[in-house]
Amino acid sequence: MIGQLKYIVKYALGRDRAGRHFTIFPDDTFLVSYPKSGNTWCRFLLANLLHPNETVGFANINELLPAPGISSKRFLKKLPRPRILKSHEPFDVRFRKVIYLVRDPRDVAVSEYHFDLKKHYIDPSVTLEQYVKRFVAGETASYGSWWEHVASWVATRQGSSSFLLVRYEDLLANSIEETGRIAKFLGIQARPESLQAAVDRSSANRMRKLEQQQSEQWSGTKNTRKEIPFVRAAKSGGWKESLSPQSVEEIESAWYPLLNLLGYELQNRALDSTATPGWVRRQPVS
Amino acid sequence: MPGRSDGMIAHLVAGTKRLLGLHRPGRSLVILPDDVFLVSFPKSGNTWTRFLLANLVHPEQAATFANIHRLIPDPSVTTKREFDRIGRPRIIKSHECFDPRYPRVIYILRDPRDVVLSQYHYHRKLKRLADDSPLEKFVARFLAGETCPHGSWGENVTTWLTSRHNDPRFLLLRYEDMVADPRRELTRVAVFLNMTPDAQRISQAVERSAADQMRKLEKAQSDQSSLTKDSRKDLSFVRAAKSGGWSSELPDSLVEQLEAKWGHIMTFLGYELATSKALSIEPEMVSFMPDKPR
Repeated sequence: MIGQLKYIVKYALGRDRAGRHFTIFPDDTFLVSYPKSGNTWCRFLLANLLHPNETVGFANINELLPAPGISSKRFLKKLPRPRILKSHEPFDVRFRKVIYLVRDPRDVAVSEYHFDLKKHYIDPSVTLEQYVKRFVAGETASYGSWWEHVASWVATRQGSSSFLLVRYEDLLANSIEETGRIAKFLGIQARPESLQAAVDRSSANRMRKLEQQQSEQWSGTKNTRKEIPFVRAAKSGGWKESLSPQSVEEIESAWYPLLNLLGYELQNRALDSTATPGWVRRQPVS
Repeated sequence: MPGRSDGMIAHLVAGTKRLLGLHRPGRSLVILPDDVFLVSFPKSGNTWTRFLLANLVHPEQAATFANIHRLIPDPSVTTKREFDRIGRPRIIKSHECFDPRYPRVIYILRDPRDVVLSQYHYHRKLKRLADDSPLEKFVARFLAGETCPHGSWGENVTTWLTSRHNDPRFLLLRYEDMVADPRRELTRVAVFLNMTPDAQRISQAVERSAADQMRKLEKAQSDQSSLTKDSRKDLSFVRAAKSGGWSSELPDSLVEQLEAKWGHIMTFLGYELATSKALSIEPEMVSFMPDKPR
Protein backbone atom coordinates (compact mmCIF):
# COMPACT_ATOMS: atom_id res chain seq x y z
CA MET A 1 0.00 0.00 0.00
CA ILE A 2 2.79 2.42 0.90
CA GLY A 3 4.58 1.48 -2.28
CA GLN A 4 1.38 2.17 -4.19
CA LEU A 5 0.91 5.56 -2.49
CA LYS A 6 4.48 6.50 -3.29
CA TYR A 7 3.83 5.58 -6.90
CA ILE A 8 0.67 7.70 -6.99
CA VAL A 9 2.50 10.75 -5.68
CA LYS A 10 5.25 10.20 -8.26
CA TYR A 11 2.58 9.67 -10.91
CA ALA A 12 0.75 12.89 -9.94
CA LEU A 13 4.01 14.83 -10.18
CA GLY A 14 4.96 13.22 -13.48
CA ARG A 15 8.11 11.79 -11.95
CA ASP A 16 7.36 8.13 -12.67
CA ARG A 17 9.40 6.41 -15.36
CA ALA A 18 7.70 6.87 -18.70
CA GLY A 19 8.21 3.35 -20.08
CA ARG A 20 5.68 2.93 -22.87
CA HIS A 21 3.23 5.38 -21.34
CA PHE A 22 4.16 8.85 -22.49
CA THR A 23 3.03 11.28 -25.14
CA ILE A 24 4.64 10.67 -28.50
CA PHE A 25 4.86 13.58 -30.94
CA PRO A 26 4.65 13.23 -34.73
CA ASP A 27 8.13 14.73 -35.14
CA ASP A 28 9.85 12.30 -32.73
CA THR A 29 12.59 10.03 -34.03
CA PHE A 30 13.30 6.76 -32.25
CA LEU A 31 16.67 5.05 -32.16
CA VAL A 32 15.49 1.46 -31.83
CA SER A 33 17.36 -1.81 -31.48
CA TYR A 34 17.31 -5.14 -29.75
CA PRO A 35 19.46 -4.88 -26.58
CA LYS A 36 23.25 -5.24 -27.04
CA SER A 37 23.18 -4.18 -30.67
CA GLY A 38 25.26 -1.01 -30.40
CA ASN A 39 22.52 1.33 -29.21
CA THR A 40 24.66 3.07 -26.57
CA TRP A 41 27.48 3.65 -29.04
CA CYS A 42 25.02 5.07 -31.54
CA ARG A 43 23.59 7.33 -28.82
CA PHE A 44 27.10 8.66 -28.19
CA LEU A 45 27.67 9.22 -31.92
CA LEU A 46 24.45 11.19 -32.29
CA ALA A 47 24.84 13.09 -29.03
CA ASN A 48 28.37 14.12 -30.03
CA LEU A 49 27.15 15.16 -33.46
CA LEU A 50 24.21 17.16 -32.10
CA HIS A 51 26.01 18.69 -29.12
CA PRO A 52 29.57 19.41 -30.30
CA ASN A 53 30.14 21.78 -27.37
CA GLU A 54 29.19 19.32 -24.65
CA THR A 55 31.39 16.61 -23.20
CA VAL A 56 29.23 13.60 -23.89
CA GLY A 57 29.63 10.86 -21.31
CA PHE A 58 27.74 8.19 -19.41
CA ALA A 59 26.88 10.80 -16.77
CA ASN A 60 24.82 12.90 -19.18
CA ILE A 61 23.82 10.55 -22.03
CA ASN A 62 20.37 9.97 -20.49
CA GLU A 63 19.79 13.71 -20.78
CA LEU A 64 21.35 14.25 -24.21
CA LEU A 65 19.68 11.27 -25.88
CA PRO A 66 17.01 10.14 -23.44
CA ALA A 67 15.48 6.70 -22.96
CA PRO A 68 11.77 6.58 -22.00
CA GLY A 69 12.53 3.41 -20.04
CA ILE A 70 14.70 5.49 -17.68
CA SER A 71 13.47 9.10 -17.85
CA SER A 72 10.31 10.49 -16.27
CA LYS A 73 7.28 11.62 -18.23
CA ARG A 74 7.83 15.15 -16.97
CA PHE A 75 11.42 15.23 -18.22
CA LEU A 76 10.41 13.88 -21.62
CA LYS A 77 7.64 16.43 -21.96
CA LYS A 78 10.04 19.32 -21.39
CA LEU A 79 12.58 18.25 -24.00
CA PRO A 80 13.01 20.56 -26.98
CA ARG A 81 11.48 19.20 -30.18
CA PRO A 82 12.08 17.41 -32.42
CA ARG A 83 13.18 14.77 -29.90
CA ILE A 84 15.41 11.77 -30.54
CA LEU A 85 14.65 8.96 -28.09
CA LYS A 86 16.31 5.62 -27.46
CA SER A 87 14.16 2.50 -27.35
CA HIS A 88 14.38 -1.29 -27.21
CA GLU A 89 10.69 -1.82 -27.98
CA PRO A 90 9.58 -4.30 -30.62
CA PHE A 91 7.17 -2.85 -33.21
CA ASP A 92 5.27 0.11 -31.83
CA VAL A 93 2.85 1.68 -34.26
CA ARG A 94 3.17 5.07 -32.56
CA PHE A 95 6.84 5.38 -33.57
CA ARG A 96 6.55 7.12 -36.92
CA LYS A 97 10.22 7.83 -37.64
CA VAL A 98 12.66 5.08 -36.75
CA ILE A 99 16.40 4.45 -37.01
CA TYR A 100 16.64 0.69 -36.56
CA LEU A 101 20.01 -0.67 -35.54
CA VAL A 102 20.50 -4.38 -36.16
CA ARG A 103 23.43 -6.60 -35.21
CA ASP A 104 24.46 -10.17 -35.99
CA PRO A 105 22.56 -12.21 -33.37
CA ARG A 106 25.59 -14.47 -32.85
CA ASP A 107 27.47 -11.43 -31.53
CA VAL A 108 24.40 -10.15 -29.70
CA ALA A 109 24.17 -13.44 -27.78
CA VAL A 110 27.79 -13.19 -26.59
CA SER A 111 27.42 -9.53 -25.68
CA GLU A 112 24.18 -10.06 -23.78
CA TYR A 113 25.71 -12.98 -21.88
CA HIS A 114 28.54 -10.77 -20.58
CA PHE A 115 26.13 -7.93 -19.84
CA ASP A 116 23.79 -10.20 -17.87
CA LEU A 117 26.76 -11.48 -15.86
CA LYS A 118 27.82 -7.89 -15.20
CA LYS A 119 24.30 -6.93 -14.12
CA HIS A 120 23.92 -9.96 -11.82
CA TYR A 121 20.96 -11.02 -14.01
CA ILE A 122 22.39 -14.52 -14.32
CA ASP A 123 24.37 -16.70 -11.97
CA PRO A 124 28.12 -16.86 -12.76
CA SER A 125 27.76 -20.63 -13.12
CA VAL A 126 25.56 -20.29 -16.25
CA THR A 127 27.60 -21.28 -19.31
CA LEU A 128 27.43 -19.45 -22.61
CA GLU A 129 26.07 -22.61 -24.22
CA GLN A 130 23.19 -22.77 -21.73
CA TYR A 131 22.61 -19.07 -22.22
CA VAL A 132 22.33 -19.34 -26.01
CA LYS A 133 19.46 -21.83 -25.69
CA ARG A 134 17.53 -19.30 -23.61
CA PHE A 135 18.54 -16.52 -26.01
CA VAL A 136 17.09 -18.39 -28.99
CA ALA A 137 13.88 -19.05 -27.03
CA GLY A 138 13.57 -15.30 -26.36
CA GLU A 139 13.87 -15.76 -22.61
CA THR A 140 16.85 -13.49 -21.96
CA ALA A 141 15.19 -10.12 -22.61
CA SER A 142 11.75 -8.66 -22.04
CA TYR A 143 11.57 -7.34 -25.59
CA GLY A 144 10.90 -10.67 -27.33
CA SER A 145 13.47 -12.81 -29.12
CA TRP A 146 15.95 -11.28 -31.57
CA TRP A 147 13.89 -12.78 -34.40
CA GLU A 148 10.59 -11.39 -33.11
CA HIS A 149 12.12 -7.95 -32.60
CA VAL A 150 13.85 -7.61 -35.96
CA ALA A 151 11.00 -9.20 -37.92
CA SER A 152 8.35 -7.01 -36.30
CA TRP A 153 10.18 -3.86 -37.45
CA VAL A 154 11.70 -4.92 -40.74
CA ALA A 155 8.59 -6.69 -42.06
CA THR A 156 6.39 -3.69 -41.40
CA ARG A 157 8.61 -0.74 -42.19
CA GLN A 158 11.50 -1.71 -44.48
CA GLY A 159 11.24 0.31 -47.67
CA SER A 160 9.41 3.20 -46.02
CA SER A 161 11.02 6.64 -46.19
CA SER A 162 10.57 7.08 -42.43
CA PHE A 163 12.58 3.94 -41.57
CA LEU A 164 16.36 3.70 -41.68
CA LEU A 165 17.97 0.31 -41.24
CA VAL A 166 21.57 0.45 -39.98
CA ARG A 167 23.74 -2.60 -39.43
CA TYR A 168 26.08 -2.39 -36.46
CA GLU A 169 28.75 -4.06 -38.61
CA ASP A 170 28.50 -1.29 -41.23
CA LEU A 171 28.57 1.39 -38.56
CA LEU A 172 31.78 -0.20 -37.29
CA ALA A 173 33.42 -0.61 -40.70
CA ASN A 174 32.37 2.76 -42.19
CA SER A 175 31.64 4.87 -39.13
CA ILE A 176 31.77 8.24 -40.86
CA GLU A 177 29.65 7.28 -43.87
CA GLU A 178 27.03 5.51 -41.78
CA THR A 179 26.85 8.35 -39.24
CA GLY A 180 26.43 10.68 -42.20
CA ARG A 181 23.56 8.54 -43.48
CA ILE A 182 21.85 8.78 -40.08
CA ALA A 183 22.43 12.53 -39.97
CA LYS A 184 20.87 12.91 -43.40
CA PHE A 185 17.87 10.86 -42.27
CA LEU A 186 17.51 13.23 -39.32
CA GLY A 187 17.67 16.19 -41.68
CA ILE A 188 21.01 17.38 -40.27
CA GLN A 189 23.57 18.94 -42.59
CA ALA A 190 26.80 17.55 -41.17
CA ARG A 191 30.18 18.46 -42.60
CA PRO A 192 32.76 15.67 -42.90
CA GLU A 193 34.84 17.18 -40.10
CA SER A 194 31.85 17.22 -37.71
CA LEU A 195 31.19 13.57 -38.53
CA GLN A 196 34.85 12.76 -37.96
CA ALA A 197 34.79 14.57 -34.60
CA ALA A 198 31.64 12.73 -33.47
CA VAL A 199 33.21 9.39 -34.42
CA ASP A 200 36.48 10.21 -32.61
CA ARG A 201 34.70 11.37 -29.48
CA SER A 202 32.65 8.15 -29.43
CA SER A 203 35.57 5.78 -29.97
CA ALA A 204 35.68 2.58 -27.92
CA ASN A 205 38.83 3.75 -26.12
CA ARG A 206 37.30 7.03 -25.13
CA MET A 207 34.08 5.34 -24.03
CA ARG A 208 36.11 2.88 -21.93
CA LYS A 209 37.82 5.77 -20.15
CA LEU A 210 34.50 7.50 -19.54
CA GLU A 211 33.03 4.27 -18.24
CA GLN A 212 35.84 3.95 -15.69
CA GLN A 213 35.19 7.46 -14.39
CA GLN A 214 31.40 7.54 -14.52
CA SER A 215 30.09 4.00 -14.15
CA GLU A 216 28.21 4.85 -10.93
CA GLN A 217 26.57 7.85 -12.57
CA TRP A 218 24.74 5.91 -15.29
CA SER A 219 21.66 3.69 -15.07
CA GLY A 220 23.25 1.07 -17.35
CA THR A 221 26.29 0.39 -15.17
CA LYS A 222 25.30 1.45 -11.65
CA ASN A 223 25.69 -1.32 -9.04
CA THR A 224 27.09 -3.78 -11.55
CA ARG A 225 30.18 -6.01 -11.43
CA LYS A 226 33.12 -3.71 -12.07
CA GLU A 227 35.50 -6.43 -13.29
CA ILE A 228 33.28 -6.93 -16.36
CA PRO A 229 33.31 -3.82 -18.58
CA PHE A 230 30.21 -2.39 -20.28
CA VAL A 231 32.23 -1.28 -23.30
CA ARG A 232 33.65 -4.66 -24.22
CA ALA A 233 35.32 -5.68 -27.48
CA ALA A 234 33.39 -3.18 -29.68
CA LYS A 235 33.97 -5.32 -32.75
CA SER A 236 32.09 -7.72 -34.98
CA GLY A 237 32.54 -11.43 -35.52
CA GLY A 238 33.77 -12.15 -31.98
CA TRP A 239 31.27 -15.03 -31.86
CA LYS A 240 33.60 -17.10 -34.05
CA GLU A 241 35.98 -17.44 -31.11
CA SER A 242 33.52 -17.64 -28.26
CA LEU A 243 30.46 -19.61 -29.45
CA SER A 244 30.55 -23.39 -29.60
CA PRO A 245 29.67 -24.97 -32.97
CA GLN A 246 26.48 -26.23 -31.38
CA SER A 247 25.41 -22.73 -30.28
CA VAL A 248 26.15 -21.35 -33.75
CA GLU A 249 24.01 -24.11 -35.25
CA GLU A 250 21.15 -23.37 -32.85
CA ILE A 251 21.06 -19.69 -33.77
CA GLU A 252 21.48 -20.25 -37.49
CA SER A 253 18.90 -22.99 -37.86
CA ALA A 254 16.35 -20.95 -35.90
CA TRP A 255 16.85 -17.68 -37.72
CA TYR A 256 18.61 -18.26 -41.06
CA PRO A 257 15.99 -16.55 -43.22
CA LEU A 258 16.51 -13.24 -41.44
CA LEU A 259 20.28 -13.74 -41.28
CA ASN A 260 20.28 -14.22 -45.04
CA LEU A 261 18.03 -11.24 -45.58
CA LEU A 262 20.33 -9.02 -43.53
CA GLY A 263 23.46 -10.27 -45.25
CA TYR A 264 25.02 -12.17 -42.32
CA GLU A 265 27.07 -15.03 -43.67
CA LEU A 266 26.15 -18.43 -42.30
CA GLN A 267 28.57 -21.02 -40.99
CA ASN A 268 26.17 -23.74 -42.10
CA ARG A 269 26.19 -23.17 -45.86
CA ALA A 270 23.36 -25.66 -46.39
CA LEU A 271 20.91 -23.16 -44.92
CA ASP A 272 22.23 -20.45 -47.16
CA SER A 273 20.84 -21.41 -50.52
CA THR A 274 17.54 -22.95 -49.47
CA ALA A 275 16.38 -20.05 -47.41
CA THR A 276 16.13 -16.83 -49.30
CA PRO A 277 14.13 -17.61 -52.43
CA GLY A 278 10.44 -17.38 -51.73
CA TRP A 279 11.12 -16.19 -48.27
CA VAL A 280 11.54 -12.59 -49.04
CA ARG A 281 9.48 -11.09 -51.79
CA ARG A 282 11.82 -8.29 -52.70
CA GLN A 283 13.90 -5.47 -51.33
CA PRO A 284 16.96 -7.27 -50.04
CA VAL A 285 18.35 -5.17 -47.27
CA SER A 286 22.00 -4.82 -48.17
CA MET B 1 -0.62 28.48 -13.66
CA PRO B 2 -4.17 27.14 -13.71
CA GLY B 3 -3.38 24.73 -16.56
CA ARG B 4 -0.77 23.00 -14.51
CA SER B 5 -2.91 22.57 -11.38
CA ASP B 6 -5.78 21.23 -13.52
CA GLY B 7 -3.38 18.67 -14.87
CA MET B 8 -2.28 17.91 -11.33
CA ILE B 9 -5.88 17.35 -10.18
CA ALA B 10 -6.56 15.09 -13.14
CA HIS B 11 -3.44 13.15 -12.23
CA LEU B 12 -4.52 12.88 -8.58
CA VAL B 13 -7.96 11.65 -9.61
CA ALA B 14 -6.33 9.10 -11.90
CA GLY B 15 -3.97 8.14 -9.08
CA THR B 16 -6.82 7.62 -6.60
CA LYS B 17 -8.73 5.52 -9.11
CA ARG B 18 -5.58 3.48 -9.51
CA LEU B 19 -5.31 3.00 -5.75
CA LEU B 20 -8.90 1.72 -5.62
CA GLY B 21 -8.44 -0.52 -8.65
CA LEU B 22 -11.10 1.34 -10.63
CA HIS B 23 -8.77 2.19 -13.49
CA ARG B 24 -8.53 0.25 -16.73
CA PRO B 25 -5.14 -1.38 -16.86
CA GLY B 26 -4.63 -1.12 -20.63
CA ARG B 27 -1.05 -2.05 -21.45
CA SER B 28 -0.05 -1.94 -17.77
CA LEU B 29 -2.02 -5.13 -17.16
CA VAL B 30 0.13 -7.64 -15.32
CA ILE B 31 0.32 -10.61 -17.69
CA LEU B 32 0.31 -14.09 -16.18
CA PRO B 33 2.15 -17.06 -17.69
CA ASP B 34 -1.08 -19.01 -18.32
CA ASP B 35 -2.92 -16.13 -20.04
CA VAL B 36 -4.33 -16.65 -23.52
CA PHE B 37 -4.89 -13.58 -25.70
CA LEU B 38 -7.59 -13.34 -28.33
CA VAL B 39 -6.07 -10.90 -30.79
CA SER B 40 -7.22 -9.38 -34.07
CA PHE B 41 -7.27 -6.19 -36.04
CA PRO B 42 -10.57 -4.41 -35.20
CA LYS B 43 -13.70 -5.56 -37.10
CA SER B 44 -12.32 -9.01 -37.83
CA GLY B 45 -14.84 -11.03 -35.84
CA ASN B 46 -13.29 -10.53 -32.41
CA THR B 47 -16.61 -10.00 -30.60
CA TRP B 48 -18.20 -13.05 -32.21
CA THR B 49 -15.17 -15.14 -31.25
CA ARG B 50 -15.33 -13.72 -27.72
CA PHE B 51 -18.93 -14.91 -27.49
CA LEU B 52 -17.98 -18.33 -28.88
CA LEU B 53 -15.15 -18.70 -26.37
CA ALA B 54 -17.15 -17.38 -23.43
CA ASN B 55 -19.98 -19.78 -24.25
CA LEU B 56 -17.53 -22.64 -24.65
CA VAL B 57 -15.55 -22.04 -21.47
CA HIS B 58 -18.47 -20.88 -19.26
CA PRO B 59 -21.46 -23.04 -20.32
CA GLU B 60 -23.16 -22.27 -16.99
CA GLN B 61 -24.07 -18.75 -18.14
CA ALA B 62 -24.81 -17.54 -21.66
CA ALA B 63 -22.54 -14.74 -22.85
CA THR B 64 -24.23 -11.37 -23.33
CA PHE B 65 -23.15 -7.84 -24.22
CA ALA B 66 -23.55 -7.02 -20.53
CA ASN B 67 -21.23 -9.72 -19.13
CA ILE B 68 -18.75 -10.32 -21.96
CA HIS B 69 -16.18 -7.86 -20.55
CA ARG B 70 -15.97 -9.98 -17.40
CA LEU B 71 -15.98 -13.38 -19.16
CA ILE B 72 -13.36 -12.47 -21.79
CA PRO B 73 -11.94 -9.24 -20.35
CA ASP B 74 -10.63 -6.32 -22.38
CA PRO B 75 -7.76 -4.40 -20.68
CA SER B 76 -9.05 -1.13 -22.14
CA VAL B 77 -12.58 -1.65 -20.76
CA THR B 78 -12.49 -4.06 -17.82
CA THR B 79 -11.31 -2.44 -14.56
CA LYS B 80 -8.32 -3.67 -12.59
CA ARG B 81 -10.64 -4.70 -9.76
CA GLU B 82 -12.73 -6.84 -12.12
CA PHE B 83 -9.54 -8.35 -13.54
CA ASP B 84 -8.50 -9.42 -10.03
CA ARG B 85 -11.69 -11.50 -9.71
CA ILE B 86 -11.34 -13.39 -12.96
CA GLY B 87 -10.49 -17.07 -12.66
CA ARG B 88 -7.38 -18.50 -14.31
CA PRO B 89 -6.43 -19.29 -16.95
CA ARG B 90 -7.74 -16.03 -18.32
CA ILE B 91 -8.69 -15.40 -21.96
CA ILE B 92 -8.11 -11.73 -22.73
CA LYS B 93 -9.26 -9.72 -25.73
CA SER B 94 -6.79 -7.46 -27.55
CA HIS B 95 -6.35 -5.52 -30.78
CA GLU B 96 -2.65 -4.80 -30.18
CA CYS B 97 0.11 -5.39 -32.70
CA PHE B 98 2.78 -7.93 -31.71
CA ASP B 99 3.48 -7.89 -27.98
CA PRO B 100 6.24 -10.28 -26.85
CA ARG B 101 4.69 -10.54 -23.38
CA TYR B 102 1.61 -12.42 -24.60
CA PRO B 103 2.33 -16.06 -23.71
CA ARG B 104 -0.29 -17.69 -25.98
CA VAL B 105 -2.24 -16.10 -28.78
CA ILE B 106 -5.33 -16.91 -30.83
CA TYR B 107 -5.15 -14.57 -33.82
CA ILE B 108 -8.21 -13.91 -35.96
CA LEU B 109 -7.63 -12.87 -39.51
CA ARG B 110 -10.23 -11.43 -41.90
CA ASP B 111 -10.19 -10.37 -45.54
CA PRO B 112 -9.23 -6.66 -45.44
CA ARG B 113 -11.75 -5.92 -48.20
CA ASP B 114 -14.50 -6.92 -45.75
CA VAL B 115 -12.75 -5.39 -42.74
CA VAL B 116 -12.70 -1.94 -44.31
CA LEU B 117 -16.45 -2.04 -45.02
CA SER B 118 -17.22 -3.27 -41.53
CA GLN B 119 -15.10 -0.53 -39.97
CA TYR B 120 -16.69 2.10 -42.19
CA HIS B 121 -20.17 1.08 -40.99
CA TYR B 122 -19.04 0.85 -37.37
CA HIS B 123 -17.52 4.34 -37.46
CA ARG B 124 -20.80 5.69 -38.83
CA LYS B 125 -22.60 3.95 -35.99
CA LEU B 126 -20.20 5.50 -33.47
CA LYS B 127 -20.80 8.91 -35.11
CA ARG B 128 -17.12 9.19 -35.96
CA LEU B 129 -18.15 9.48 -39.60
CA ALA B 130 -21.00 11.44 -41.13
CA ASP B 131 -23.57 9.41 -43.04
CA ASP B 132 -22.53 10.85 -46.37
CA SER B 133 -18.80 10.54 -45.71
CA PRO B 134 -17.30 9.08 -48.90
CA LEU B 135 -16.05 5.51 -48.74
CA GLU B 136 -13.07 6.49 -50.94
CA LYS B 137 -11.78 8.81 -48.25
CA PHE B 138 -12.18 6.17 -45.59
CA VAL B 139 -10.33 3.57 -47.63
CA ALA B 140 -7.43 6.00 -48.10
CA ARG B 141 -7.20 6.47 -44.32
CA PHE B 142 -7.60 2.72 -43.78
CA LEU B 143 -4.66 2.02 -46.08
CA ALA B 144 -2.55 4.55 -44.18
CA GLY B 145 -3.44 2.95 -40.83
CA GLU B 146 -5.20 6.10 -39.65
CA THR B 147 -8.62 4.69 -38.79
CA CYS B 148 -7.62 3.06 -35.50
CA PRO B 149 -4.72 3.10 -33.03
CA HIS B 150 -3.66 -0.50 -33.76
CA GLY B 151 -1.63 0.02 -36.90
CA SER B 152 -2.79 -0.63 -40.42
CA TRP B 153 -4.38 -3.98 -41.26
CA GLY B 154 -1.12 -4.97 -42.94
CA GLU B 155 1.02 -3.93 -39.96
CA ASN B 156 -1.15 -5.69 -37.40
CA VAL B 157 -1.23 -8.94 -39.35
CA THR B 158 2.43 -8.83 -40.36
CA THR B 159 3.80 -8.22 -36.86
CA TRP B 160 2.00 -11.30 -35.52
CA LEU B 161 2.57 -13.64 -38.44
CA THR B 162 6.25 -12.91 -38.85
CA SER B 163 6.95 -13.32 -35.16
CA ARG B 164 4.69 -16.20 -34.12
CA HIS B 165 3.30 -18.13 -37.09
CA ASN B 166 4.02 -21.88 -36.87
CA ASP B 167 4.82 -21.47 -33.20
CA PRO B 168 2.96 -23.89 -30.89
CA ARG B 169 1.96 -20.89 -28.76
CA PHE B 170 0.03 -19.38 -31.70
CA LEU B 171 -3.30 -20.37 -33.26
CA LEU B 172 -4.37 -18.72 -36.50
CA LEU B 173 -8.10 -18.49 -37.25
CA ARG B 174 -9.62 -17.06 -40.40
CA TYR B 175 -13.00 -15.36 -39.97
CA GLU B 176 -14.09 -16.84 -43.30
CA ASP B 177 -13.37 -20.40 -42.10
CA MET B 178 -15.30 -19.69 -38.92
CA VAL B 179 -18.33 -18.50 -40.87
CA ALA B 180 -18.12 -21.56 -43.14
CA ASP B 181 -17.80 -24.12 -40.34
CA PRO B 182 -17.93 -22.65 -36.82
CA ARG B 183 -18.02 -26.07 -35.12
CA ARG B 184 -14.83 -27.23 -36.79
CA GLU B 185 -12.99 -24.00 -35.99
CA LEU B 186 -14.20 -23.86 -32.39
CA THR B 187 -13.00 -27.44 -31.97
CA ARG B 188 -9.54 -26.28 -33.03
CA VAL B 189 -9.74 -23.55 -30.41
CA ALA B 190 -10.80 -26.04 -27.72
CA VAL B 191 -7.81 -28.24 -28.52
CA PHE B 192 -5.51 -25.21 -28.37
CA LEU B 193 -6.97 -24.39 -24.94
CA ASN B 194 -6.25 -27.98 -23.81
CA MET B 195 -9.97 -28.68 -23.42
CA THR B 196 -11.63 -31.93 -24.40
CA PRO B 197 -13.56 -30.92 -27.50
CA ASP B 198 -17.02 -32.10 -26.45
CA ALA B 199 -19.31 -31.94 -29.52
CA GLN B 200 -22.43 -31.03 -27.58
CA ARG B 201 -20.74 -28.27 -25.67
CA ILE B 202 -19.30 -26.86 -28.90
CA SER B 203 -22.70 -26.95 -30.61
CA GLN B 204 -24.28 -25.15 -27.69
CA ALA B 205 -21.59 -22.45 -27.80
CA VAL B 206 -22.10 -21.98 -31.55
CA GLU B 207 -25.89 -21.72 -31.14
CA ARG B 208 -25.65 -19.30 -28.26
CA SER B 209 -23.32 -17.11 -30.34
CA ALA B 210 -25.31 -17.22 -33.59
CA ALA B 211 -25.75 -13.89 -35.40
CA ASP B 212 -29.54 -13.90 -34.78
CA GLN B 213 -29.01 -14.51 -31.10
CA MET B 214 -26.38 -11.77 -30.88
CA ARG B 215 -28.70 -9.35 -32.70
CA LYS B 216 -31.40 -9.99 -30.09
CA LEU B 217 -28.94 -9.42 -27.25
CA GLU B 218 -27.66 -6.26 -28.92
CA LYS B 219 -31.18 -4.81 -29.10
CA ALA B 220 -31.82 -5.52 -25.44
CA GLN B 221 -28.41 -4.50 -24.06
CA SER B 222 -27.03 -1.93 -26.41
CA ASP B 223 -26.44 0.62 -23.65
CA GLN B 224 -24.78 -1.87 -21.32
CA SER B 225 -21.82 -2.47 -23.59
CA SER B 226 -18.86 -0.19 -24.28
CA LEU B 227 -18.99 -1.44 -27.87
CA THR B 228 -22.35 0.16 -28.59
CA LYS B 229 -23.02 2.65 -25.79
CA ASP B 230 -24.10 6.10 -27.02
CA SER B 231 -23.93 4.98 -30.64
CA ARG B 232 -26.58 5.37 -33.33
CA LYS B 233 -29.41 2.94 -32.75
CA ASP B 234 -30.51 2.90 -36.38
CA LEU B 235 -27.30 1.08 -37.35
CA SER B 236 -26.54 -2.29 -35.80
CA PHE B 237 -23.26 -3.58 -34.34
CA VAL B 238 -23.95 -7.15 -35.45
CA ARG B 239 -24.27 -6.47 -39.15
CA ALA B 240 -24.18 -8.95 -42.03
CA ALA B 241 -22.04 -11.53 -40.16
CA LYS B 242 -20.90 -13.01 -43.45
CA SER B 243 -17.86 -13.02 -45.68
CA GLY B 244 -17.31 -11.68 -49.19
CA GLY B 245 -19.69 -8.71 -48.93
CA TRP B 246 -16.98 -6.58 -50.51
CA SER B 247 -17.52 -8.11 -53.95
CA SER B 248 -20.88 -6.33 -54.25
CA GLU B 249 -20.32 -3.34 -51.93
CA LEU B 250 -16.76 -2.22 -52.59
CA PRO B 251 -16.13 -0.39 -55.89
CA ASP B 252 -13.48 -2.00 -58.14
CA SER B 253 -11.16 0.97 -57.88
CA LEU B 254 -11.03 0.59 -54.08
CA VAL B 255 -10.55 -3.18 -54.30
CA GLU B 256 -7.63 -2.43 -56.55
CA GLN B 257 -6.09 -0.03 -54.05
CA LEU B 258 -6.31 -2.53 -51.21
CA GLU B 259 -4.87 -5.32 -53.35
CA ALA B 260 -2.09 -3.09 -54.64
CA LYS B 261 -0.91 -2.43 -51.11
CA TRP B 262 -1.52 -5.79 -49.46
CA GLY B 263 -1.95 -8.23 -52.35
CA HIS B 264 1.23 -10.11 -51.46
CA ILE B 265 0.05 -10.69 -47.88
CA MET B 266 -3.49 -11.54 -48.98
CA THR B 267 -2.26 -14.11 -51.50
CA PHE B 268 -0.05 -15.63 -48.85
CA LEU B 269 -3.04 -15.87 -46.50
CA GLY B 270 -5.22 -17.55 -49.11
CA TYR B 271 -7.42 -14.63 -50.14
CA GLU B 272 -7.94 -14.69 -53.88
CA LEU B 273 -7.23 -11.40 -55.59
CA ALA B 274 -9.82 -9.82 -57.88
CA THR B 275 -7.52 -7.48 -59.76
CA SER B 276 -4.48 -8.45 -61.73
CA LYS B 277 -2.66 -5.21 -60.98
CA ALA B 278 -2.05 -6.19 -57.42
CA LEU B 279 1.50 -7.45 -57.57
CA SER B 280 2.81 -5.09 -60.18
CA ILE B 281 3.08 -2.32 -57.62
CA GLU B 282 6.00 -2.34 -55.20
CA PRO B 283 4.75 -3.51 -51.82
CA GLU B 284 5.87 -1.46 -48.86
CA MET B 285 6.59 -4.50 -46.78
CA VAL B 286 8.92 -7.36 -46.92
CA SER B 287 6.68 -10.38 -46.57
CA PHE B 288 7.62 -13.49 -44.72
CA MET B 289 6.82 -17.06 -45.63
CA PRO B 290 4.90 -19.31 -43.25
CA ASP B 291 7.37 -22.15 -43.03
CA LYS B 292 9.64 -20.31 -40.69
CA PRO B 293 11.58 -22.89 -38.75
CA ARG B 294 11.54 -22.71 -34.99
